Amino acid sequence: MTFTVLRPGLQTTVQAGPRRGLRHLGVPAAGAADPLSLALANRLVGNPLLAPGLETTLNGVSLGFQSEGFVAITGARAKAWLNGERVKPHRTLAVAAGDELEIGPARLGARNYLAVAGGIDVEEVLGSASTYLPAGFGGLHGRALRRGDVLAVVPGAATPGKLRTPKEFRPLASNSWALRACYGAEVDLLNEESRFDLFDTNFSVGFRADRMGLQLEGARFEVTSGGQLASAPVFPGTIQCPEDGIPFLLSIDAQTIGGYPRVAQVARVDRHLIGQLRPGDHLRLLWRDAGSAREELLAKHDYWGKWLPGIRAVI
Amino acid sequence: MKAGVRLCGDDVVSVACEDTSSAQALADHLRESGEWLECVAGIESCVAQFDLEAVSAEQAIRRMASALRAVPAVRAADAAVVEVPVCYGGDHGPDLGDVCERLGLSREAFIELHTGSEYGVDMLGFTPGFAFIGGFEAAQEVPRRSQPRVRLAAGSIGIAGGRTGIYTLPSPGGWQIIGRTPMRLFDTGSAEPFRLRAGMRVRFVEIDPDEFDGWCAE
Repeated sequence: MTFTVLRPGLQTTVQAGPRRGLRHLGVPAAGAADPLSLALANRLVGNPLLAPGLETTLNGVSLGFQSEGFVAITGARAKAWLNGERVKPHRTLAVAAGDELEIGPARLGARNYLAVAGGIDVEEVLGSASTYLPAGFGGLHGRALRRGDVLAVVPGAATPGKLRTPKEFRPLASNSWALRACYGAEVDLLNEESRFDLFDTNFSVGFRADRMGLQLEGARFEVTSGGQLASAPVFPGTIQCPEDGIPFLLSIDAQTIGGYPRVAQVARVDRHLIGQLRPGDHLRLLWRDAGSAREELLAKHDYWGKWLPGIRAVI
Repeated sequence: MKAGVRLCGDDVVSVACEDTSSAQALADHLRESGEWLECVAGIESCVAQFDLEAVSAEQAIRRMASALRAVPAVRAADAAVVEVPVCYGGDHGPDLGDVCERLGLSREAFIELHTGSEYGVDMLGFTPGFAFIGGFEAAQEVPRRSQPRVRLAAGSIGIAGGRTGIYTLPSPGGWQIIGRTPMRLFDTGSAEPFRLRAGMRVRFVEIDPDEFDGWCAE
């Protein structure tokens, strides 16, 4: 099966699981910015949870199918149409040759995911099929999709059952988020007031927001690094605070090494939410110690494991 | 090794290290143990991410403490020295003139200095394969450019703050660009995608623009 990109949208890429264990070589994770939503889409078409699918950004995508198959849409709150007829997210959709599928603009949240039964057929680079845009590898030729691109689907997939995500397993889209976070390595470089403000500010997501990271506006922190900090490892979820005092939350494509104070780290339990933040969204950080952050992660795994066995490898 | 173990975040442990070499030794040791998801050496720290699903923070700190007792103090140096050909100045090194002026050196004296020593690769990072190469003390006072360049060619070689950096991919960059190597240092199509690794030794060798073109044609 193949399908063609009719309207590529702002930034649509092939994403699967992250690259793992290569950060010491400078290789970032990449992969779905919201891996839970990719997993939910793959679940509906019978794929492994992190099989390669499409990730859209803010304004969807339009696709034309050359043969029949099964797809599913998850992620941001957005309308979708199959040959002009509204179709719903969170269910298995059958498509036939000649069909056109459109995902419209995201009204809440930033990214939609489209899974295709069998998974999108792209080569793995450094252990993952995921597109890493800054270096131009993975996915389809290492780049975002363009009009006219033809994507192949891995053949031989079993016909999936007609499924719907149970209501209690549909993540709520929002424009107001709370992310649980722990102190970072250099939190002591913040003055006392800024340390307090870190967990007592209604941040808004700035317009500098992409798969590398997001600027957080609403507070200007006082840091005392003097710009002389030795470069140190950073991860998705790390919140850095440069000397200009405006914190920056690193996302899934984050570089491996940073030179700014690491003031906080979004806890693993909520890291998958970062991919749905969009400019203008409100954000609060909720302080956790490492012990409770772990208990809450295990609780989240227990909950989602009922619908997504294998969730532990996803979030 | 003199080091303090601390948690930074819910699933990351950081160890302060005396220098880059001991940070690398620890990172290598941790990676070989297979107990950690990511083991990354910084300039003065080694950071390891663990699987919070399987391991609590207390367990991770204990594991790190016992690793610190077992790790060799300094990593065994990689024997081979990688010779990196560099075409200095001109279009390939637009900042060479400014750098020479700042250091009070002639072009020839600068190149003699830069090619005259062996250097260690401190770490790879920033972008895939970007090599931070330490030990260019003469350039300790050379700052990054106040206005980073939007796009540098792959192979561009910059200096800043006593280090030489090699841009393995086309990317934006703020280092002072003194030359360019035609050597492919990062190639996802190769069985061994990374030509340089942390801890390797490097020597720069001057080539002229014709030799540069010859390398590229190969």
